[in-house]
Amino acid sequence: MTTDALARPVRVRTAPLRRISSQSGLNTAAGHLLMVLLSIFCLFPVYWMLVSSFRPANAMFETSLWPTQGSLENYTTAIDAIPIARMLLNTLVFSAVSTVFQLLTGILAAFAFARWKFPFDKLVYTGVALTWLVPFQVVMIPNYLLVAHMGLLDSILALILPNIAAALAIMLLAQAMRGFPKEVIEAARMDGASNWRILWEVLVPNLRGTIASLAILIFISTWNEYFWPLLLSRTAENSVIQIGIQMFMTAEGNAWGPLMAASTLASLPVLVIYVVLQRQVVQSFMKSGIR
Amino acid sequence: MAIAIATPARLRRKSHARWSPWLYLAPALITLLVWIYWPLVDAARLSFYQWNMLPNSPQTFVGWENYQRIFALPKFWQALRNTGVYILGLLPLAVLIPLAIAIYTHDLPERSRNIYRAIIFVPMIIAPVVAAAVWRWLLDPGYGLANQAIKGLGFDPVKFLSDPDTAIWTVIVITGWKLMGFSTLILSAANANINPTLIEAARMDGAGKWEIIRDVRLPLLSSTVLFLVVMTILLGAQWSFTYINVLTGGGPLGATTNIYYLLWDFGFSTMSVGWGSASAVILFLGFGVIAFVLFRLIDRYSFHDN
Repeated sequence: MTTDALARPVRVRTAPLRRISSQSGLNTAAGHLLMVLLSIFCLFPVYWMLVSSFRPANAMFETSLWPTQGSLENYTTAIDAIPIARMLLNTLVFSAVSTVFQLLTGILAAFAFARWKFPFDKLVYTGVALTWLVPFQVVMIPNYLLVAHMGLLDSILALILPNIAAALAIMLLAQAMRGFPKEVIEAARMDGASNWRILWEVLVPNLRGTIASLAILIFISTWNEYFWPLLLSRTAENSVIQIGIQMFMTAEGNAWGPLMAASTLASLPVLVIYVVLQRQVVQSFMKSGIR
Repeated sequence: MAIAIATPARLRRKSHARWSPWLYLAPALITLLVWIYWPLVDAARLSFYQWNMLPNSPQTFVGWENYQRIFALPKFWQALRNTGVYILGLLPLAVLIPLAIAIYTHDLPERSRNIYRAIIFVPMIIAPVVAAAVWRWLLDPGYGLANQAIKGLGFDPVKFLSDPDTAIWTVIVITGWKLMGFSTLILSAANANINPTLIEAARMDGAGKWEIIRDVRLPLLSSTVLFLVVMTILLGAQWSFTYINVLTGGGPLGATTNIYYLLWDFGFSTMSVGWGSASAVILFLGFGVIAFVLFRLIDRYSFHDN
């Protein structure tokens, strides 16, 4: 589902031919201004979340753009109100297990598509690709009923089950495997390697870049998943952090300080991944398009 | 996209090779069948029944009644209209403004581009619930920073989320906030991939700045632009789901309810499986047709830069 432009990694632009124009300096300044404005728009809400989360309760409604005094009061209040540690752990299990399984099923299925021609292969591939376009809201009632029927409501296992395989992982891996030099595979086959060994000892080690960026993408999107947990959760102990955040926003009123503290805690793992692997994260999202 | 590795003839003769692909495919296919294809069929079946989701209450066959009722419901048409507003409102934020920014900033130096890129991508990785929480705080009518600023300037506070005329636009801007930087990055990447010799050739021919944008850059960016437009149309209303759910609950007076939210409302607030399933089928078929037409258009109208 990616166009060529998306599939290509962001590349360093080839040096433009030097322009001799008196206007270009002014243009560049205006360009910087535009980007700075966009950057402020994009980053300010996140900044404001951090600043608010460290304000003491009696200074919550201050509007100074930077904190005048720091306090962890909001964090302790939030931790007392809901089992945050448990919820973060649940979210971690949900995201990590989903990531591992999606990669596993993706690698196996992609190998089948890349290695063999078999009856209906194109049809099956299209069938896989089409699931990418089915909105979750369309299948949610039957999915919910299925989970209820299995007696798995309010469990992390039920959150994971529909995430065991995904079209995106299969398609991106199949693309990568098709692009892998056939001579290498052929050479391994000559040495008597079975398909299973070719997959795990030749293809997978060589595609670890693709697999790693896919892993980042799946992990972050699963971590941020809200809708499916919302359907299944019954108790705080068995739900994920995204549901926990929601508990601070009620019709009666909002506990702004603890809400910002819980939001910060929920964002921290993803933000840490982003700070450490910024380039890879951006690239993995851009390769896969939006969703 | 669909070119399989040619299989050596020797391998194809082995009989177990016939089964191998299916064994490798099985885990993925079974998951997709159980959690997507079977539910689609089941949703279609349930759309002809009346049922309140309780396991021991009966499912009554009602034929096309659910569909007739839904089409007669003003709420449905309101949600459909709102879905259109979401899409139209998102297009400038997710496509037009990013396109302008991408073209305008293409000659910024590499170093600063990287810094901007790192910053404007951040909203994309922030969880929708977190985004909703932060915006709710920023836009709070009493104490939110936005209204403090508005009051400071001497105006009346704006009820961003509780005024029926404003609420939908607030949700659209928040959805746009999540996507804008990302779209800009995608378009910048496509823009940077344009072969500089094409631009230079046009300049040699005496083309001005605007003519270069209009006659060279825009046509070459058209496939990326079209892709983003299609994504916005197909997924736009879906992206806003979390914000509607957390911020407005579809209100005030249904003003922010789109077709996805209506589905949720039917299924899990009113526990009407039949109505929920019937609207799921309508939605699925509607968007299926739109998707088909749009992807055909992409094939036909996009230019390609070799």
